[in-house]
Amino acid sequence: MKKLIALYVPAATLIGYIFLFAPLLVLVIYAFNAGRSTVVWEGFSLAWFAEALRDRGLRAGLQVSVIVAIASAALATMIGTSAALAVVKRPFAGKNLFSTLIIAPLVLPEIVLAVGLLVATVWTGVPLGYGTLIAGHVLVSIPFSFLIVRAAASGLDPRLDEAAADLGANGKQAFLRVTLPLLAPAILSAFLLCAVISFDNFVVSTFVSGVGSTPLPIQIYATLKSGLTPKINALGAMLIAVNVLVILVVMSRYLKTIRKQS
Amino acid sequence: MPPDITTEPAGVSRAAIELIDIRKAFGTGAETAYAVDRLNLTIKAGEFFTFLGPSGCGKTTTLRMIAGFEEPTSGRLLLDGRDVTGVPAHQRNVNTVFQSYALFPHLNVGENVGFGLSVKGVAKDEIRDRVKAALDSVHMTHAIDRKPSALSGGQQQRIALARALINRPSVLLLDEPFGALDLKLRREMQMEVKEMQRRLGITFIFVTHDQEEALTMSDRIAVMNNGVVQQVGGPVEIYERPANRFTAGFIGDMNLIEARITARNGDQFTLEAAGSRIDFPCTLPLQPGDACILAIRPEALHFVEGEAGGSVRFSGALGEAVYIGTDTVYALVLADGTRLHARVRNGDRPMPQAGAPATLACAPSAIRLLTQ
Ligand SMILES: Nc1ncnc2c1ncn2[C@@H]1O[C@H](COP(=O)(O)OP(=O)(O)O)[C@@H](O)[C@H]1O
Ligand SMILES: [Mg+2]
Repeated sequence: MKKLIALYVPAATLIGYIFLFAPLLVLVIYAFNAGRSTVVWEGFSLAWFAEALRDRGLRAGLQVSVIVAIASAALATMIGTSAALAVVKRPFAGKNLFSTLIIAPLVLPEIVLAVGLLVATVWTGVPLGYGTLIAGHVLVSIPFSFLIVRAAASGLDPRLDEAAADLGANGKQAFLRVTLPLLAPAILSAFLLCAVISFDNFVVSTFVSGVGSTPLPIQIYATLKSGLTPKINALGAMLIAVNVLVILVVMSRYLKTIRKQS
Repeated sequence: MPPDITTEPAGVSRAAIELIDIRKAFGTGAETAYAVDRLNLTIKAGEFFTFLGPSGCGKTTTLRMIAGFEEPTSGRLLLDGRDVTGVPAHQRNVNTVFQSYALFPHLNVGENVGFGLSVKGVAKDEIRDRVKAALDSVHMTHAIDRKPSALSGGQQQRIALARALINRPSVLLLDEPFGALDLKLRREMQMEVKEMQRRLGITFIFVTHDQEEALTMSDRIAVMNNGVVQQVGGPVEIYERPANRFTAGFIGDMNLIEARITARNGDQFTLEAAGSRIDFPCTLPLQPGDACILAIRPEALHFVEGEAGGSVRFSGALGEAVYIGTDTVYALVLADGTRLHARVRNGDRPMPQAGAPATLACAPSAIRLLTQ
């Protein structure tokens, strides 16, 4: 019995990892398959990567996704940073409620947000397109930029602001010369994470993208309907590589600030 | 009595800072507490002025109001004769050396020191020269390109000093600047800062809870307790003529003995203290029956045998003796249980035995009579 319990944890961990990563591993392996199948190995080839990069629809989707990711991440980072600074540096009534509302999109079902957004666009008569897509992505990524910058800002020594003022810096100078440079790594992390979140987004995009502004995930889904080839695997492998890189950068920074504070 | 050295440095008379009826409350409603209460003070230009008091007495709050980080709840604050109540910190010609140094971690030493000049738009060449000179004056020129985190506490302290002084403020505020330094470095920095103040002639307002530091460095000291200034005076005055029980007990070692006036004949008082009858000349407006406190320094007391005329005497049984190098501190337990401490030079006489009857005496002039 004891032996069983002792085995339980490593076994469960192993099964968990297999469950998590086996599909990804298989996907990446078959991206290099020479044949048309995604289940039968026929030899090594990079042809599908070239094929994926040549596909018109996918390329258009990639372009939309990159534009939307950069724009929405920039906006979400600006808004999240402002909100985080307000919460950390200024006392105001309803501060906790304000924080909760900002983080709300994180816990609300995304499908509800998406439907809500669609209803709002119909109601206001705003045409679906880049604008609605960016707005939707900003909405889902603000909680992340807010949380990351807030963690960094609350770790700043409030004496530094006072020291800047003491040395004659007005509010703007103190912000530009002290607060902003000290928060820069966190702000960059927030931007990268928001960009990834936008790039990966499917649910909100499905509802609010318009004709001519179809982002990559939806393009991929559409491509799948016309048959599953290793082209998708190749694309997936490239996306995984970019995402993992960004997440590694962001998480290592985030963990560092958290650790410094404890 | 040593000569009075409380007179201010020559040429000092202009007021650098006037604090007029300043109060600072924290909290609201029933929880309102005054961190500083009815503070009235004039600090003269060129003075080394110290706020001294136990932790939580309101020293930092006072300093923060002068710097402009905190606004007084009521009262006015004049800087160089100008009312600066409500003027934001960055518009006051005052600089602060923070207790935690508060150096900018993302800037190197040179950029830290030049920060004040840079935000004021001083030309790059001038900034460079003045940063060099400022670092030179604190012997830190070699560290100009290093980050603050690569420096020791004492070195960071010097950078913080240079960063403040480079702006040529009319007043420099220092909040327990040596609190984090070890004893030896602390002594060194005390001397250096005092010397720097003499050389520059800038008004220094210093905050400390260390009475020795306050006594050695200051021209004048304000002793604070519970947000209220207890006494303002030069080191000698504060040490030798404490105005009340708090100051007497806080500065140096002091025997405080409850006493009662039993008779008065002109300026000649007779007191009853700890079972002893004491004749004492005094000009305080006290009447028979009034309570008061006798304050006697341990070093003013000495052992006597037989009758020595003209001195105040306390008899009792010897308690513990604590050897402290050149001296020994003896406790004498008086008839009513009061312990009287006497600091006596070693070698003057053989160590008395604990429990033996003994008599301590001092000159009437060594006793201070306090009424509060
Ligand atoms: N921001 C604040 N909010 C509430 N109470 C405060 C604040 N700052 C100081 N106090 C209180 O005011 C009193 C004086 O504090 P302080 O000036 O820091 O004392 P000191 O520097 O002499 O140790 C303390 O009781 C402290 O708790
Ligand atoms: Mg303090």
